[in-house]
Amino acid sequence: MRPLTEDETKVIFEKLTKYIGNNVLHLIDRSDETYYFRLHNDKVYYVSDSMLRQAVSIGRDQLASLGVCFGKFTKSKKFKLHITALDYLAQYAKYKLWIKPNGEGSFLYGNHILKAHLGRITEDTPEHQGVIIYSMSDIPLGFGVTARSMVEIRKLKPTDIVAFHQADIGEYLREQDTLF
Amino acid sequence: MDVSAQLEAQKSKYKSINVEKQVPLQFDLGLLAGFDVNALEENKLKVETDNYLKSYTRDGTQLLINEIFRLPLTSVQDVGVVAELPKIVTAIPREKPLPKPKPPTRWERFAKLKGIKKNKKSRLIYDERRGEWVPRWGYKGTNDDGANEWLNEARHRRNIEEVEIDASQQLNSAQPQLKSKVNAKVLKKTELRRQITMAKTSTASLGKFDKPVKGEPSNTKGAKRKFESNLGDIQKEKEARLSILNKIIDKKGEILNVRKAIAKNNQQN
Repeated sequence: MRPLTEDETKVIFEKLTKYIGNNVLHLIDRSDETYYFRLHNDKVYYVSDSMLRQAVSIGRDQLASLGVCFGKFTKSKKFKLHITALDYLAQYAKYKLWIKPNGEGSFLYGNHILKAHLGRITEDTPEHQGVIIYSMSDIPLGFGVTARSMVEIRKLKPTDIVAFHQADIGEYLREQDTLF
Repeated sequence: MDVSAQLEAQKSKYKSINVEKQVPLQFDLGLLAGFDVNALEENKLKVETDNYLKSYTRDGTQLLINEIFRLPLTSVQDVGVVAELPKIVTAIPREKPLPKPKPPTRWERFAKLKGIKKNKKSRLIYDERRGEWVPRWGYKGTNDDGANEWLNEARHRRNIEEVEIDASQQLNSAQPQLKSKVNAKVLKKTELRRQITMAKTSTASLGKFDKPVKGEPSNTKGAKRKFESNLGDIQKEKEARLSILNKIIDKKGEILNVRKAIAKNNQQN
Protein backbone atom coordinates (compact mmCIF):
# COMPACT_ATOMS: atom_id res chain seq x y z
CA MET A 1 0.00 0.00 0.00
CA ARG A 2 1.34 3.40 -0.87
CA PRO A 3 0.07 6.88 -1.64
CA LEU A 4 -0.26 7.85 -5.30
CA THR A 5 2.51 9.65 -7.11
CA GLU A 6 1.82 12.99 -8.73
CA ASP A 7 1.36 11.49 -12.16
CA GLU A 8 -1.00 8.84 -10.90
CA THR A 9 -3.04 11.43 -8.97
CA LYS A 10 -3.29 13.54 -12.08
CA VAL A 11 -4.60 10.62 -14.13
CA ILE A 12 -7.19 9.72 -11.52
CA PHE A 13 -8.41 13.27 -10.98
CA GLU A 14 -8.74 13.80 -14.70
CA LYS A 15 -10.87 10.68 -14.93
CA LEU A 16 -13.01 11.76 -12.00
CA THR A 17 -13.48 15.29 -13.24
CA LYS A 18 -14.89 13.82 -16.43
CA TYR A 19 -17.81 12.54 -14.40
CA ILE A 20 -18.17 14.89 -11.48
CA GLY A 21 -16.29 17.97 -12.58
CA ASN A 22 -14.92 20.14 -9.82
CA ASN A 23 -16.88 18.26 -7.18
CA VAL A 24 -13.74 16.16 -6.84
CA LEU A 25 -12.91 18.80 -4.27
CA HIS A 26 -15.52 17.29 -1.97
CA LEU A 27 -13.73 13.97 -2.18
CA ILE A 28 -10.41 15.40 -1.07
CA ASP A 29 -11.55 18.12 1.28
CA ARG A 30 -14.10 16.53 3.55
CA SER A 31 -15.63 18.03 6.68
CA ASP A 32 -15.99 14.87 8.78
CA GLU A 33 -12.76 12.94 8.26
CA THR A 34 -9.88 13.12 5.85
CA TYR A 35 -10.09 10.50 3.16
CA TYR A 36 -7.12 9.33 1.16
CA PHE A 37 -6.44 7.58 -2.10
CA ARG A 38 -4.11 4.67 -1.67
CA LEU A 39 -2.65 2.27 -4.20
CA HIS A 40 -2.51 -1.45 -3.42
CA ASN A 41 -1.88 -4.18 -5.98
CA ASP A 42 -2.54 -1.75 -8.85
CA LYS A 43 -5.97 -0.86 -7.42
CA VAL A 44 -6.90 2.56 -6.07
CA TYR A 45 -8.79 2.67 -2.78
CA TYR A 46 -10.61 5.58 -1.23
CA VAL A 47 -10.19 5.14 2.49
CA SER A 48 -10.79 7.18 5.62
CA ASP A 49 -7.98 8.16 7.93
CA SER A 50 -9.06 5.90 10.81
CA MET A 51 -9.51 2.95 8.45
CA LEU A 52 -6.11 3.58 6.95
CA ARG A 53 -4.34 3.51 10.26
CA GLN A 54 -5.86 0.14 10.98
CA ALA A 55 -5.11 -1.24 7.56
CA VAL A 56 -1.45 -0.31 7.82
CA SER A 57 -0.87 -3.17 10.22
CA ILE A 58 -2.07 -5.79 7.72
CA GLY A 59 0.63 -7.34 5.59
CA ARG A 60 0.84 -6.74 1.87
CA ASP A 61 -0.09 -10.27 0.90
CA GLN A 62 -2.83 -10.53 3.49
CA LEU A 63 -4.56 -7.25 2.65
CA ALA A 64 -7.31 -7.98 0.14
CA SER A 65 -9.16 -4.68 -0.02
CA LEU A 66 -9.72 -1.55 2.03
CA GLY A 67 -12.26 1.23 2.01
CA VAL A 68 -13.90 1.73 -1.37
CA CYS A 69 -12.17 0.52 -4.51
CA PHE A 70 -12.44 3.31 -7.05
CA GLY A 71 -10.73 1.52 -9.89
CA LYS A 72 -7.46 0.08 -11.04
CA PHE A 73 -4.42 0.92 -13.07
CA THR A 74 -3.91 -1.27 -16.09
CA LYS A 75 -0.51 -2.59 -17.14
CA SER A 76 -0.03 0.41 -19.39
CA LYS A 77 -0.75 2.76 -16.49
CA LYS A 78 -4.22 3.77 -17.69
CA PHE A 79 -6.86 4.21 -15.03
CA LYS A 80 -10.10 2.26 -15.28
CA LEU A 81 -12.98 3.39 -13.06
CA HIS A 82 -14.92 0.55 -11.48
CA ILE A 83 -18.62 0.39 -10.63
CA THR A 84 -17.70 0.33 -6.94
CA ALA A 85 -17.08 4.08 -7.19
CA LEU A 86 -20.69 4.67 -8.23
CA ASP A 87 -21.90 5.87 -4.84
CA TYR A 88 -19.48 8.74 -4.81
CA LEU A 89 -19.94 9.58 -8.45
CA ALA A 90 -23.71 9.55 -8.14
CA GLN A 91 -23.58 11.92 -5.16
CA TYR A 92 -21.63 14.55 -6.99
CA ALA A 93 -22.76 13.92 -10.56
CA LYS A 94 -22.81 16.85 -12.91
CA TYR A 95 -24.45 15.25 -15.94
CA LYS A 96 -27.16 12.67 -15.48
CA LEU A 97 -29.03 10.39 -17.79
CA TRP A 98 -32.26 8.61 -16.97
CA ILE A 99 -33.29 5.46 -18.82
CA LYS A 100 -36.73 3.99 -19.23
CA PRO A 101 -37.66 0.69 -17.57
CA ASN A 102 -37.49 -1.18 -20.86
CA GLY A 103 -33.91 -0.05 -21.34
CA GLU A 104 -32.76 -0.91 -17.84
CA GLY A 105 -32.37 -4.60 -18.52
CA SER A 106 -30.29 -4.06 -21.60
CA PHE A 107 -27.97 -1.64 -19.88
CA LEU A 108 -27.55 -3.84 -16.83
CA TYR A 109 -26.34 -6.64 -19.07
CA GLY A 110 -23.57 -4.43 -20.37
CA ASN A 111 -25.06 -3.04 -23.58
CA HIS A 112 -24.86 0.56 -24.73
CA ILE A 113 -27.83 2.86 -24.30
CA LEU A 114 -29.98 3.40 -27.39
CA LYS A 115 -32.14 6.38 -28.02
CA ALA A 116 -35.23 4.27 -27.52
CA HIS A 117 -34.19 3.68 -23.92
CA LEU A 118 -33.46 7.29 -23.17
CA GLY A 119 -35.80 8.87 -20.66
CA ARG A 120 -34.32 12.16 -19.59
CA ILE A 121 -30.95 13.83 -19.80
CA THR A 122 -29.51 16.93 -18.15
CA GLU A 123 -29.66 19.81 -20.52
CA ASP A 124 -26.63 20.93 -22.45
CA THR A 125 -24.64 17.71 -22.17
CA PRO A 126 -21.71 17.89 -24.55
CA GLU A 127 -20.42 15.04 -26.67
CA HIS A 128 -18.13 12.45 -25.01
CA GLN A 129 -19.10 13.64 -21.59
CA GLY A 130 -19.07 11.29 -18.63
CA VAL A 131 -22.58 10.75 -17.36
CA ILE A 132 -24.13 8.88 -14.45
CA ILE A 133 -27.01 6.72 -15.46
CA TYR A 134 -30.13 6.50 -13.35
CA SER A 135 -33.36 4.58 -13.59
CA MET A 136 -36.57 6.56 -13.77
CA SER A 137 -36.93 6.08 -10.02
CA ASP A 138 -33.62 7.84 -9.44
CA ILE A 139 -31.59 4.74 -8.59
CA PRO A 140 -28.05 5.03 -9.90
CA LEU A 141 -27.42 2.16 -12.31
CA GLY A 142 -23.97 2.92 -13.58
CA PHE A 143 -22.03 5.36 -15.67
CA GLY A 144 -21.14 5.94 -19.26
CA VAL A 145 -19.98 8.40 -21.87
CA THR A 146 -22.32 10.26 -24.20
CA ALA A 147 -22.01 9.43 -27.87
CA ARG A 148 -23.51 12.66 -29.16
CA SER A 149 -24.27 16.05 -27.75
CA MET A 150 -27.76 16.97 -26.61
CA VAL A 151 -28.48 18.83 -29.76
CA GLU A 152 -27.68 15.89 -32.01
CA ILE A 153 -29.50 13.34 -29.90
CA ARG A 154 -32.81 14.82 -30.98
CA LYS A 155 -32.06 13.97 -34.60
CA LEU A 156 -31.08 10.35 -33.96
CA LYS A 157 -33.03 7.21 -34.87
CA PRO A 158 -34.38 5.11 -32.00
CA THR A 159 -31.79 2.42 -32.59
CA ASP A 160 -28.75 4.71 -32.49
CA ILE A 161 -26.43 4.64 -29.53
CA VAL A 162 -26.81 7.61 -27.23
CA ALA A 163 -24.35 6.68 -24.51
CA PHE A 164 -21.52 4.15 -24.32
CA HIS A 165 -21.60 1.76 -21.41
CA GLN A 166 -18.67 2.08 -19.00
CA ALA A 167 -19.88 0.33 -15.87
CA ASP A 168 -23.18 -0.89 -14.50
CA ILE A 169 -24.33 -2.44 -11.24
CA GLY A 170 -24.84 -5.76 -13.01
CA GLU A 171 -21.06 -6.03 -12.89
CA TYR A 172 -21.29 -6.84 -9.22
CA LEU A 173 -22.47 -10.24 -10.39
CA ARG A 174 -20.62 -10.52 -13.68
CA GLU A 175 -17.20 -9.28 -12.63
CA GLN A 176 -17.17 -10.45 -9.01
CA ASP A 177 -13.58 -11.63 -9.17
CA THR A 178 -11.96 -8.51 -10.55
CA LEU A 179 -13.95 -5.68 -9.02
CA PHE A 180 -12.44 -5.32 -5.58
CA MET B 1 19.59 -104.73 1.06
CA ASP B 2 21.04 -105.89 -2.16
CA VAL B 3 20.09 -103.67 -5.05
CA SER B 4 22.56 -105.03 -7.55
CA ALA B 5 19.91 -107.17 -9.17
CA GLN B 6 17.65 -104.20 -9.69
CA LEU B 7 20.56 -102.21 -11.05
CA GLU B 8 21.32 -105.00 -13.48
CA ALA B 9 17.71 -105.05 -14.60
CA GLN B 10 17.81 -101.29 -15.12
CA LYS B 11 21.05 -101.43 -17.05
CA SER B 12 19.85 -104.18 -19.37
CA LYS B 13 16.98 -101.97 -20.51
CA TYR B 14 19.42 -99.68 -22.23
CA LYS B 15 22.13 -100.32 -24.75
CA SER B 16 25.76 -100.20 -23.75
CA ILE B 17 27.51 -96.88 -23.45
CA ASN B 18 30.55 -98.29 -25.15
CA VAL B 19 30.32 -98.09 -28.89
CA GLU B 20 32.61 -99.86 -31.31
CA LYS B 21 33.66 -97.94 -34.38
CA GLN B 22 36.19 -98.83 -37.01
CA VAL B 23 37.50 -95.28 -37.29
CA PRO B 24 37.21 -93.30 -34.09
CA LEU B 25 35.16 -90.11 -34.36
CA GLN B 26 36.65 -86.66 -34.50
CA PHE B 27 35.10 -84.17 -32.10
CA ASP B 28 34.82 -80.39 -32.03
CA LEU B 29 33.28 -79.97 -28.61
CA GLY B 30 33.15 -76.18 -28.93
CA LEU B 31 30.50 -76.77 -31.60
CA LEU B 32 29.14 -79.86 -29.80
CA ALA B 33 29.87 -81.75 -32.99
CA GLY B 34 31.29 -85.13 -33.81
CA PHE B 35 32.51 -86.11 -37.29
CA ASP B 36 32.05 -89.74 -38.29
CA VAL B 37 33.95 -90.99 -41.39
CA ASN B 38 32.91 -94.61 -41.07
CA ALA B 39 31.20 -96.17 -44.06
CA LEU B 40 27.52 -97.01 -43.75
CA GLU B 41 26.44 -100.63 -44.23
CA GLU B 42 24.73 -100.64 -47.58
CA ASN B 43 22.58 -103.74 -47.23
CA LYS B 44 21.20 -102.65 -43.84
CA LEU B 45 20.54 -99.18 -45.29
CA LYS B 46 18.51 -100.64 -48.12
CA VAL B 47 16.57 -103.22 -46.15
CA GLU B 48 15.76 -101.71 -42.76
CA THR B 49 16.55 -97.99 -43.33
CA ASP B 50 14.73 -96.43 -40.38
CA ASN B 51 15.96 -98.75 -37.66
CA TYR B 52 19.52 -98.73 -38.95
CA LEU B 53 19.69 -94.95 -39.15
CA LYS B 54 18.11 -94.67 -35.71
CA SER B 55 20.68 -96.98 -34.10
CA TYR B 56 23.51 -95.30 -36.02
CA THR B 57 22.44 -91.89 -34.75
CA ARG B 58 22.13 -93.25 -31.24
CA ASP B 59 25.67 -94.59 -31.39
CA GLY B 60 27.07 -91.28 -32.59
CA THR B 61 25.21 -89.29 -29.96
CA GLN B 62 26.37 -91.68 -27.24
CA LEU B 63 29.99 -91.19 -28.26
CA LEU B 64 29.52 -87.41 -28.26
CA ILE B 65 28.00 -87.44 -24.80
CA ASN B 66 30.82 -89.68 -23.56
CA GLU B 67 33.24 -87.08 -24.85
CA ILE B 68 31.34 -84.24 -23.14
CA PHE B 69 31.51 -86.06 -19.85
CA ARG B 70 35.26 -86.23 -20.22
CA LEU B 71 35.42 -82.39 -20.01
CA PRO B 72 36.01 -80.66 -16.64
CA LEU B 73 32.61 -80.58 -14.92
CA THR B 74 31.48 -77.98 -12.40
CA SER B 75 28.34 -77.72 -10.38
CA VAL B 76 26.44 -74.48 -10.89
CA GLN B 77 23.63 -73.33 -8.58
CA ASP B 78 20.06 -73.69 -9.93
CA VAL B 79 21.35 -75.21 -13.16
CA GLY B 80 23.14 -78.37 -12.19
CA VAL B 81 26.28 -79.97 -13.53
CA VAL B 82 27.93 -77.96 -16.30
CA ALA B 83 30.81 -78.82 -18.60
CA GLU B 84 33.24 -76.20 -19.86
CA LEU B 85 33.40 -76.42 -23.65
CA PRO B 86 36.75 -75.83 -25.33
CA LYS B 87 37.28 -73.32 -28.10
CA ILE B 88 35.90 -73.99 -31.58
CA VAL B 89 38.49 -75.66 -33.79
CA THR B 90 36.65 -76.01 -37.11
CA ALA B 91 36.78 -73.11 -39.48
CA ILE B 92 33.21 -72.06 -40.26
CA PRO B 93 32.51 -69.98 -43.36
CA ARG B 94 31.14 -66.36 -43.02
CA GLU B 95 27.44 -65.89 -42.65
CA LYS B 96 27.44 -62.59 -44.55
CA PRO B 97 29.93 -61.33 -47.17
CA LEU B 98 32.75 -58.92 -46.26
CA PRO B 99 31.59 -55.27 -45.98
CA LYS B 100 32.37 -53.15 -49.01
CA PRO B 101 34.64 -50.15 -48.30
CA LYS B 102 32.45 -47.03 -47.92
CA PRO B 103 33.13 -44.12 -50.29
CA PRO B 104 34.77 -41.17 -48.50
CA THR B 105 32.36 -38.46 -47.36
CA ARG B 106 32.42 -34.95 -48.73
CA TRP B 107 34.40 -33.75 -45.72
CA GLU B 108 36.84 -36.63 -45.93
CA ARG B 109 37.49 -35.81 -49.57
CA PHE B 110 38.04 -32.17 -48.74
CA ALA B 111 40.32 -32.92 -45.81
CA LYS B 112 42.37 -35.25 -47.93
CA LEU B 113 42.64 -32.64 -50.63
CA LYS B 114 43.71 -29.88 -48.27
CA GLY B 115 45.87 -32.16 -46.16
CA ILE B 116 43.85 -31.40 -42.98
CA LYS B 117 44.72 -33.74 -40.18
CA LYS B 118 42.66 -34.19 -37.03
CA ASN B 119 44.64 -32.92 -34.03
CA LYS B 120 43.36 -34.14 -30.75
CA LYS B 121 44.07 -31.42 -28.19
CA SER B 122 45.26 -32.60 -24.81
CA ARG B 123 43.42 -31.40 -21.71
CA LEU B 124 46.55 -30.12 -19.99
CA ILE B 125 49.01 -27.71 -21.51
CA TYR B 126 52.26 -26.38 -20.13
CA ASP B 127 51.75 -22.79 -18.98
CA GLU B 128 55.12 -21.03 -19.28
CA ARG B 129 54.24 -18.25 -16.92
CA ARG B 130 52.94 -20.44 -14.14
CA GLY B 131 55.53 -23.08 -14.84
CA GLU B 132 53.19 -26.05 -14.53
CA TRP B 133 50.72 -28.17 -16.41
CA VAL B 134 47.27 -26.58 -16.20
CA PRO B 135 43.99 -27.40 -17.97
CA ARG B 136 43.52 -25.73 -21.31
CA TRP B 137 40.01 -24.64 -20.24
CA GLY B 138 37.86 -24.80 -17.12
CA TYR B 139 38.81 -24.58 -13.44
CA LYS B 140 42.25 -23.04 -12.93
CA GLY B 141 42.80 -23.18 -16.62
CA THR B 142 44.53 -20.82 -18.98
CA ASN B 143 41.34 -19.88 -20.84
CA ASP B 144 39.79 -17.51 -18.30
CA ASP B 145 40.26 -14.25 -20.22
CA GLY B 146 42.33 -12.75 -17.47
CA ALA B 147 39.54 -12.95 -14.89
CA ASN B 148 41.86 -13.75 -12.01
CA GLU B 149 44.60 -11.37 -12.99
CA TRP B 150 45.36 -8.59 -10.58
CA LEU B 151 45.73 -6.18 -13.47
CA ASN B 152 43.99 -6.19 -16.82
CA GLU B 153 44.62 -3.63 -19.47
CA ALA B 154 41.47 -2.25 -21.02
CA ARG B 155 41.41 -3.74 -24.47
CA HIS B 156 37.82 -3.74 -25.73
CA ARG B 157 37.32 -0.07 -26.44
CA ARG B 158 39.15 1.52 -29.32
CA ASN B 159 41.71 4.00 -28.10
CA ILE B 160 40.95 7.61 -28.75
CA GLU B 161 44.15 8.06 -30.71
CA GLU B 162 43.12 5.38 -33.15
CA VAL B 163 39.75 7.07 -33.69
CA GLU B 164 41.38 10.40 -34.28
CA ILE B 165 43.81 8.93 -36.70
CA ASP B 166 40.97 7.28 -38.57
CA ALA B 167 39.00 10.52 -38.66
CA SER B 168 41.90 12.42 -40.18
CA GLN B 169 42.65 9.63 -42.62
CA GLN B 170 39.09 9.66 -43.86
CA LEU B 171 39.96 12.91 -45.59
CA ASN B 172 42.56 11.06 -47.63
CA SER B 173 40.22 8.47 -49.03
CA ALA B 174 43.09 5.99 -49.42
CA GLN B 175 42.21 4.45 -46.06
CA PRO B 176 39.00 2.45 -45.57
CA GLN B 177 36.08 4.15 -43.76
CA LEU B 178 35.24 3.63 -40.08
CA LYS B 179 32.46 1.12 -39.64
CA SER B 180 30.38 3.41 -37.42
CA LYS B 181 30.32 7.00 -38.57
CA VAL B 182 31.49 8.71 -35.37
CA ASN B 183 32.59 12.24 -34.93
CA ALA B 184 36.03 12.08 -33.33
CA LYS B 185 35.49 15.26 -31.30
CA VAL B 186 32.13 14.09 -29.90
CA LEU B 187 33.59 10.72 -29.13
CA LYS B 188 36.45 12.29 -27.24
CA LYS B 189 34.06 14.40 -25.17
CA THR B 190 31.82 11.49 -24.19
CA GLU B 191 34.85 9.34 -23.57
CA LEU B 192 36.35 11.95 -21.27
CA ARG B 193 33.06 12.35 -19.44
CA ARG B 194 32.92 8.64 -18.94
CA GLN B 195 36.47 8.51 -17.65
CA ILE B 196 35.75 11.35 -15.25
CA THR B 197 32.69 9.54 -13.86
CA MET B 198 34.68 6.38 -13.47
CA ALA B 199 37.53 8.16 -11.70
CA LYS B 200 35.09 9.99 -9.48
CA THR B 201 33.37 6.86 -8.23
CA SER B 202 36.55 4.89 -7.76
CA THR B 203 37.15 6.22 -4.27
CA ALA B 204 36.39 4.33 -1.10
CA SER B 205 33.04 6.09 -0.59
CA LEU B 206 32.14 5.92 -4.30
CA GLY B 207 32.54 9.66 -4.75
CA LYS B 208 29.61 10.55 -2.47
CA PHE B 209 31.45 12.95 -0.18
CA ASP B 210 33.63 14.72 -2.72
CA LYS B 211 33.40 18.48 -2.85
CA PRO B 212 31.21 19.34 -5.85
CA VAL B 213 32.98 21.15 -8.66
CA LYS B 214 31.37 24.28 -10.06
CA GLY B 215 29.36 23.70 -13.22
CA GLU B 216 29.47 19.94 -13.04
CA PRO B 217 26.11 18.14 -13.29
CA SER B 218 25.64 16.37 -9.97
CA ASN B 219 23.10 13.59 -10.43
CA THR B 220 24.22 11.82 -13.56
CA LYS B 221 22.56 8.49 -12.92
CA GLY B 222 18.80 8.12 -12.42
CA ALA B 223 17.66 8.17 -8.82
CA LYS B 224 15.70 5.30 -7.36
CA ARG B 225 11.90 5.82 -7.39
CA LYS B 226 10.72 7.24 -4.09
CA PHE B 227 7.22 7.17 -2.68
CA GLU B 228 5.86 9.26 0.14
CA SER B 229 5.20 7.59 3.45
CA ASN B 230 1.86 5.86 3.80
CA LEU B 231 0.75 7.76 6.90
CA GLY B 232 2.49 10.99 6.07
CA ASP B 233 1.59 14.54 6.89
CA ILE B 234 -2.17 14.95 6.42
CA GLN B 235 -2.11 18.64 5.61
CA LYS B 236 0.73 18.34 3.17
CA GLU B 237 -0.95 15.56 1.25
CA LYS B 238 -4.26 17.37 1.15
CA GLU B 239 -2.67 20.53 -0.09
CA ALA B 240 -0.71 18.66 -2.76
CA ARG B 241 -3.84 16.94 -3.99
CA LEU B 242 -5.83 20.14 -4.05
CA SER B 243 -3.17 21.91 -6.04
CA ILE B 244 -3.15 19.12 -8.62
CA LEU B 245 -6.93 19.23 -8.81
CA ASN B 246 -6.97 22.97 -9.26
CA LYS B 247 -4.53 22.71 -12.11
CA ILE B 248 -6.76 20.22 -13.87
CA ILE B 249 -9.92 22.21 -13.29
CA ASP B 250 -8.33 25.42 -14.47
CA LYS B 251 -7.39 23.70 -17.67
CA LYS B 252 -10.91 22.42 -18.19
CA GLY B 253 -12.83 25.26 -16.58
CA GLU B 254 -12.64 27.54 -19.57
CA ILE B 255 -14.26 25.08 -21.94
CA LEU B 256 -17.22 24.35 -19.71
CA ASN B 257 -18.00 27.96 -19.08
CA VAL B 258 -17.91 28.83 -22.75
CA ARG B 259 -20.17 25.98 -23.65
CA LYS B 260 -22.70 26.83 -21.01
CA ALA B 261 -22.62 30.45 -22.00
CA ILE B 262 -23.40 29.57 -25.61
CA ALA B 263 -26.23 27.24 -24.55
CA LYS B 264 -27.71 29.85 -22.31
CA ASN B 265 -27.41 32.41 -25.05
CA ASN B 266 -29.26 30.16 -27.46
CA GLN B 267 -31.98 29.56 -24.91
CA GLN B 268 -32.54 33.21 -24.39
CA ASN B 269 -32.80 33.92 -28.10
